[in-house]
Amino acid sequence: MPSPDNKAVNTSIVDVASFAMSFGRKEVIKDLSFNVNKGEVFGFLGANGAGKTTTIRTLLGLYKPSSGTLLINNQRYNPSMSATIGYLPEERGLYRNEPVINTMVYFAVLHGLSEREARKRALEYLKRVGLSDKANERLVKLSGGQQQKIQLGVTILHEPSLMILDEPTEALDPVNRALLMEIINERQTKGATIMLVTHRMDEVEQLCDRILLLKDGSAALYGQIDEVKEQFGSQIIALNFTGKFLANDKLYKVTKRLPHYAELAWLKNITTDDVLHFLADQQDLHLTTFEVRRPSLNDIFLELYKDQGGSNV
Amino acid sequence: MSKLSDVIGFEVRRNLKKKTFWYTTLILPVMIIAVFAITQASSNHASNSSQQQTSAYSKTAKLAVLDETGLINKRELISQHIVIEPNEQAGIDGVKDGKLTAFIYYPKNVTKVGIQVYAQDQGITFTPPYNALASQLLSQNAVATVSTATHDSEAFRVLQKSPSVTATTYKNGAKTNGLAGIVAPIIFFAIFLFFVVMLSYFMISATTEEKENRAAEILLTTIKSRSLIIGKILSIFVLGVVQIVIIVVPLIIAYALFHNHISLPGGVSLSHIPLDAKAIAIGGLVLLLGLVMFTGILVGFGSLFPSAQEASRYLGIIILSAFIPLYAIGYVISSPHALIVTVFTYFPLTAPSTVLLRNAVGTLPTGDALGAIAILLVIASLSILFAVRAFNYGAMSYSRRIRIKELFQ
Repeated sequence: MPSPDNKAVNTSIVDVASFAMSFGRKEVIKDLSFNVNKGEVFGFLGANGAGKTTTIRTLLGLYKPSSGTLLINNQRYNPSMSATIGYLPEERGLYRNEPVINTMVYFAVLHGLSEREARKRALEYLKRVGLSDKANERLVKLSGGQQQKIQLGVTILHEPSLMILDEPTEALDPVNRALLMEIINERQTKGATIMLVTHRMDEVEQLCDRILLLKDGSAALYGQIDEVKEQFGSQIIALNFTGKFLANDKLYKVTKRLPHYAELAWLKNITTDDVLHFLADQQDLHLTTFEVRRPSLNDIFLELYKDQGGSNV
Repeated sequence: MSKLSDVIGFEVRRNLKKKTFWYTTLILPVMIIAVFAITQASSNHASNSSQQQTSAYSKTAKLAVLDETGLINKRELISQHIVIEPNEQAGIDGVKDGKLTAFIYYPKNVTKVGIQVYAQDQGITFTPPYNALASQLLSQNAVATVSTATHDSEAFRVLQKSPSVTATTYKNGAKTNGLAGIVAPIIFFAIFLFFVVMLSYFMISATTEEKENRAAEILLTTIKSRSLIIGKILSIFVLGVVQIVIIVVPLIIAYALFHNHISLPGGVSLSHIPLDAKAIAIGGLVLLLGLVMFTGILVGFGSLFPSAQEASRYLGIIILSAFIPLYAIGYVISSPHALIVTVFTYFPLTAPSTVLLRNAVGTLPTGDALGAIAILLVIASLSILFAVRAFNYGAMSYSRRIRIKELFQ
């Protein structure tokens, strides 16, 4: 169930209300409502097929909603608003047989820049990402990672106030991922709002202020990350260890077990100190970390989708 | 508007850089040069054939001559059953009344003012060789008298430089434009077929490239699909104009250099082409609407397919519709009221070429022209809407062919 807006005082940039979407008889989205506040990084999460891309495409006017309203800056999106929007779609692609600089300038001009300004910014961007020497190369000649950088450049060259990034780190190597994170952070510092669609929970924890987790076309979790964690479940004990780990039905229940890692849920009337004492007393066990924490977003994500197996997640 | 010009500029520039554009553009001038060379090589054969034709014509037609040069042997004319007219007006009246097939008038200073031919207009399916006959009669008689002539005589001048021949045709007593009359309106027909043949691949693949490259989604959030499609269509027209300029400019230069050596059928002179405002207006309008309709259909059709390769499999069927009326050209010219001509005139896909052809040969009543234009206007508008809808719907269907009925569900 969606929680109320936690930043009611903030200006809302994206407003989705009672959104439902069906393709033929298949209902993809059911009564979805959320908003994205100005200046925040909003994580839009969900397994494959949950309806994330459908929601984004409908928000951007590519699909017509079956019902409900999807607004950006209080109006339905139309391409004349593209100067303020930077969209990195899930299905990425540009003109592969065109020189890099021509493609970047073309899209920047369509986003409202003058040709001169577009060329200047494109060359600056290429220099920043180490592709100055590729400006006149055809896109198809570039590696996958280099093409991703060009695609990102097309998304941000006109300095949009709202960036919608659908799986932006997909297929990026660690260096390019770090560059993307840096750019996202930089854009947010300058006041941009970012709507991030991703599977990577570590990125969400690092970047996002609030999240919405979509499951079967509905909001399964919605709000600030801490609130979502609280909303989802109680704290756990996370251990890293070497040696022989023992189960103890009177103190705790093992919720996750790996060769040198375990997560425990302590039982009623038992304290974390009781668990720590017990484990510390074990001769054949050497604890390297003992942490009491809320479940990670990754844990929550896996827990939510455990009934769907791994194929869609 | 500015985004539209951005699209046109981008599309034109990148297509001009494609090798396929230049291959298709340059192949036609090469073919024209080849055909011209073959024609020149066979000119001797054609000359013999022309003499046989004129000789046969003079035996069957009712001909009259008025010779003020004094070069032509009257006895020879009589032996060939050619009537000798007392004055120019009597000869013209004979043609107008239908008593004569042709009247040839040789003025006194024929090398300066040229030979005047007045003849019955027998339609474009039969082009009598009266111009050749007029020149032939004069030159043969000039040769016969040249031995007794002085160097400054008309006979010498005739042999040095053949006089020009100006033909005037009549039908039912009224003056007609003859073959020269079809030259201007037939250009619209030629341009239409040229666009369909040369640019249809660019039309059908106009949007498939965005789909194949997965660029459609980002484009559709940046520019209205209608602006994008119209921009692409206009860029195709610009490319067509570039192609026509590339082909026509060398032809104009060639004509300027060699027009004395180029003869068109039926004595048509390019410097005396009649320009019928009505025929040109109809031709221009039908050409424009026909091209918009074909482009809209092909662009929309291409948007339904995931790749240009798949879409182009069906290209032949659409191109064929532009050429089908040529198979009925006999009916179009000689039996314009035949059912098949009416069907081709009003069926949208065959209408442009049929109407342009009928407009050129003068068998298109105003009512048929207006009816066909109205249909083309509606279908051309619908085809643009179809293209926009097909692109909107099919742009993000990257791997699946969209069925037309899906567009309307």
